[in-house]
Amino acid sequence: MSKLLQLIFGDLPNVLSVAVALLVAYGVSRVVPGAAGAVLALLLILAAALQALQANKRAARRSKGH
Amino acid sequence: MTAAQWGGASALFLASAVEWVEAFTIVLAVALTIGWRRASSAAVAGLAVVAALIAITGVGIEAAEAYIGWIRAAIGIFLLLFGLRWYVKAIRRYAGRTALHDEAREFAETREQLESAEGRAAWVIAFKGVLLEGLEVWLLVVALGHTLSYGAAAGSAAASLVAVIVAGVALRSPLTRVPENLLKYLVACAILSFGSFWAIGGLVGEQVAWPLGDGTLLLLFAAYAAAGRIIAWRSRPAGSTTAGAQA
Repeated sequence: MSKLLQLIFGDLPNVLSVAVALLVAYGVSRVVPGAAGAVLALLLILAAALQALQANKRAARRSKGH
Repeated sequence: MTAAQWGGASALFLASAVEWVEAFTIVLAVALTIGWRRASSAAVAGLAVVAALIAITGVGIEAAEAYIGWIRAAIGIFLLLFGLRWYVKAIRRYAGRTALHDEAREFAETREQLESAEGRAAWVIAFKGVLLEGLEVWLLVVALGHTLSYGAAAGSAAASLVAVIVAGVALRSPLTRVPENLLKYLVACAILSFGSFWAIGGLVGEQVAWPLGDGTLLLLFAAYAAAGRIIAWRSRPAGSTTAGAQA
């Protein structure tokens, strides 16, 4: 079951990234509706960049620890 | 078919093919240990479970068609969760931060694992391998079935299964020449594009959020693809000159 949930939702940073991006985009849609989609895409790209870099940092810390 | 439907069908075909190639590698390794007959029976059993899931959810979605706006938003959010995960993984592979998926290595590891396994355990390994990869295909059919018809989505996944089986049986070796990492990257971009389109479109209205209509999908795809390559390039380890993934 946990494998299936992991398959669907991914890990916590993944869920948080999508949730925050959607909330912000929804908020933007209340003010500038036409910009909501672009904001969502930009935030997801930013989230991907952060997740990729975070993973790099974790890997660097692990290699220092050894 | 519209551009969105072609995009959905292609994404589904390619994404399913990636999963089926991984499943085929496991079944092939098992077949060389316990024979094709038993390995095939395990694969068929796994596929039967996946087919049943696809059929059951298809009926459920049809019954809930009245809530199409909510379904669209929910499927969009699911695609974002699924797509972002694939996107980050693919970026890290391109950056050389994560090892490329290697069917030959996967095959060797499964063979090694099988050396100490009994016949029944080997059967379970093949069954679980097909089932786990098949579950991802099921999720994709449910999600992308919304662009096409549900039947066409299931058909697209089935067509990719047939293509992989034909290629695999003809070669009788792991499908190492399939550019799996490149396919995963392109599919991740496509899934994120559809997810973005439906998630925010379902929440605030498609015409409001996306004034350019279906054509926006191509723009989103191009944006995600370009941005992903830039992120991969920026996060490459210091001193690395070659791309992490030529895939």
